[in-house]
Amino acid sequence: MRSLLGGVTLAGLVAGLVMGLGIAPRETTQGNVQRIMYLHVPSVWVAYLAFAAVLVASITYLVRRAEAADRLAHASAEVGVLFTGLTIATGSIWGKPTWGTWWTWDARLTTVSILFVMYLGYLLLRGMIDDRERGARFAAVLGIVAAFNIPLVHFSVYWWRTLHQPPSLMKPGPGTLPGSIVTALLVNFAAFTLLYVYFVTRRARVLRLEAEAEA
Amino acid sequence: MVWKDLLVERRSKETLNALFFFALLLLFMFQFALGPDRERLAGTLPGLLWLGFILSGLLGLGRTFLVERENDCWEGLLLAPGDKSAIYVGKLAGNLLLMLVIETILLVLFGFFFNLDLAKALPGLAVVIVLGTVAFAAVGTLFAAMTAQVRARELLFPVLLLPVEAPVLLATVKATEAVLLGETLGSVAHWLKLLAAADVVYVAVGVLTFDFVMEG
Amino acid sequence: MADNWSFVFAAYGLALIVLVAYWRFLVRREKELSEGDQVRRLGSDVSRQGSGGSEPQATASRPPSP
Repeated sequence: MRSLLGGVTLAGLVAGLVMGLGIAPRETTQGNVQRIMYLHVPSVWVAYLAFAAVLVASITYLVRRAEAADRLAHASAEVGVLFTGLTIATGSIWGKPTWGTWWTWDARLTTVSILFVMYLGYLLLRGMIDDRERGARFAAVLGIVAAFNIPLVHFSVYWWRTLHQPPSLMKPGPGTLPGSIVTALLVNFAAFTLLYVYFVTRRARVLRLEAEAEA
Repeated sequence: MVWKDLLVERRSKETLNALFFFALLLLFMFQFALGPDRERLAGTLPGLLWLGFILSGLLGLGRTFLVERENDCWEGLLLAPGDKSAIYVGKLAGNLLLMLVIETILLVLFGFFFNLDLAKALPGLAVVIVLGTVAFAAVGTLFAAMTAQVRARELLFPVLLLPVEAPVLLATVKATEAVLLGETLGSVAHWLKLLAAADVVYVAVGVLTFDFVMEG
Repeated sequence: MADNWSFVFAAYGLALIVLVAYWRFLVRREKELSEGDQVRRLGSDVSRQGSGGSEPQATASRPPSP
C-alpha cells in the first residue's frame, strides 16, 4: 500500500513538473520566472494543511491520549515546517528578479515567516523534553495555541502591509488567471498534497518504530 | 499559609524593583544604540515603547512559577483540588498587574526622556496598553507553566512566546502610533478588535489547556 | 535575462534537493529501525534456545502495520 502511494505521488509530481515547467504558458507580465509559482503556492497550501492537521491531532491527543495522534501531530508539524521553509525560499528566489530584492515584508512572506518560527519552536519544545508523555502533552497545547494564532497572524500582517501601502505584486486570484495556468497550478496542488500524505505517513511510521525500539 | 503569602509579597516587591531598574536600563540602551537625535527617533517611539514592554515582560513573566519551583511548592500546586484553571486565572491577574505597573513606569520615563505630551493621548494609550498586555500575559502565563517544567527554560520561554505574540506587537504598535499622533480610537478600530479577539482566544485557550500542563 | 530561467532552475533545484533529502532521511531511518528490531528479536530467540529450561521469554509480537 505504501509503495502504491509512493508511486502515485511520484507520478503526480512528475506531472506537475511537466505542466509547470513546460505545458503552462509563459506569463505575459513576469515572463517564465512566474513558473516558480507552481512550487511556491502549493508549498504554502501544504503548510496550512499540515498545521491544521497538527491542531486536530493535538486536540485528539489531549482528549483521548492516543499515541498515534501524538505521532501524527509531530510528523505533520515537521513536514509543515519543511514546506514552510520551502515556501519562504521559493518566495525569496521568485522575489529577487521580480522585485529586485531577496527579501521584502510582503503579506505572504511575513505571514509564512511567523508560522515558520512558531512551529520551529514547536519542534524545539519536543526536542527538549525527554519524558515522552509530557512532551506529547505540552506539544499538543502549543499546537493548539499556534493554530488558533494563525487567523490573528493573517489579519494583522495583511493590515500591516496593505493599509497606507500599495498591495504586493504577487496576488494571483484564480479568477484573473488564464485557464491553463490554473490547471497547472491545480495539478501541482494535488501532487503536493499527495506528497504531504506520503511524508507524514512515513514519518509517523518512523516515530512508531522509534517508540517501539525504546520500549 | 500566611508565611507563604508574605514570602510571595516580598518576592514580588523584589521583582518589581528589579524590573523597574531593567526598564530604565533598556531606555538608556535604546538611546545609546539609536543616537541622541530626537527627531530621528520620533517615528520609532511606539515601536521602542512596545519593545520595552515586551523585553521587561519576558523577564517578569518567565519567573511566574519560579517561587513554586524553588521552594518545593510545585507538588502543592499539582495536588490542589478542583479546577486548576483557577490557578491560571490567579497567576494571570498577578502577571497582568505586574506588567501594567512596569508599563506605566516605562511610559512615564518615555514621556520624560523624549519630552512627550502624553496627557491628551492617555485614555487611548490606556486602552491599547491594557488590550495588548492581556494578550501578552495570557499566553505568557501558560507558557511559563510549561517551560517551568522543562530544561533550558530561560531560553525556551522567549523562543516560544515571541512568535505567537507577533500579531499582537503589530497591532499595538500601529494603534499606539495613531494615538500618539492624536488620531481617534475609531480610526484604529480594526486593530483594537484584533487585540480584543486575541485576548478572548488566548485567555480561553489558557483556561482550557492549563489543566493539561499541570498534570505531572 | 528577461526570462530569468536561472532563478526558475534554482527554485526547482532547491525544492528537489530538499524533498529528496527528506525522503532519503525517512527511508534510512526506517531501514535502521526495522533492522534493529529484527536483530533484537533474533537475539532474544537465540538466548531463549541457549538457556534451555529457564522460563520462556516473551518476545514482543510485531504489531500489524496500519
